Amino acid sequence: MLFFFFVFSFIVIISSLSVVFSSNPVHSVLFLIFTFFNTAVIFLLFNAEFLAMTLIIVYVGAVAVLFLFVVMMLNINDSLMKEGFLKYFPFGLLLICIFFGELYMIFESNVFITPSDIRISISELVDGGMDNTKSIGLFLYTDYFIVFQISGFLLLLAMIGAIVLAHNEKINTRYNSPIDQKILNKKDVIKLN
Amino acid sequence: MEPIHYLVLSSIVFSIGFLGIFINRKNIITILMSIELMLLSANINFVGFSYTLDDLSGQIFSLFILLVAAAEAAIGLAILMIFFKKSGSISIDKISNLKG
Repeated sequence: MLFFFFVFSFIVIISSLSVVFSSNPVHSVLFLIFTFFNTAVIFLLFNAEFLAMTLIIVYVGAVAVLFLFVVMMLNINDSLMKEGFLKYFPFGLLLICIFFGELYMIFESNVFITPSDIRISISELVDGGMDNTKSIGLFLYTDYFIVFQISGFLLLLAMIGAIVLAHNEKINTRYNSPIDQKILNKKDVIKLN
Repeated sequence: MEPIHYLVLSSIVFSIGFLGIFINRKNIITILMSIELMLLSANINFVGFSYTLDDLSGQIFSLFILLVAAAEAAIGLAILMIFFKKSGSISIDKISNLKG
């Protein structure tokens, strides 16, 4: 179990480094898909089957395809991509070393790992014959109902926003307005001499 | 699996995403992908703690993070397309043109 975790986390780290450092955006997207697949395997090791499959469907099926679509739609000049790399890389490396060091000091102390009083025990659910998907559904639609509704509204908002942003109004084309046609009278238009 | 294992993994992935924002100054698409990596590392933390603390809430919150990431990617890419149509490049140096 631990061996598999190490193997897949190593692949995750390598492929996410490739996402960041690859100069071709299409390669970046493909490595991002690879990262998501390996993270899904790590989720499976944590007994989160539903989330692993959702990760593949949502990220690989929707988000990564959207990224690929946009990368192919935009005509990007590859040679300019890595301009300023040497200028910003040392600063960024210093910053993430400090950040990672701080995080590691917190992890060593183990101060925050205490179970809360109000919790949904997974082992009790499994003993009661519930599988992962069933128990997530049970609590998502009851205890977290308001959050679920708000997130649905957020998705609606994102959809409307994306449509409004990406929709281009036709300016130079000629077309018949239905309203103008409706208010015309026959005797105004037809002239008999 | 001890907490320190997935904590270190998620902080490494978060740091890589953070570094990606710094070094890709000419390419907003890669910056968006770095943000996706950072959200993914948050997801790893949630699922890992859900396993350690035997609590299903972590997985439910992870689902919401997934949703927010998808919405953010859709909006971000729509803005990016309009920006490319107006300015002809996706360099972050020119994005101050959005001030109007």
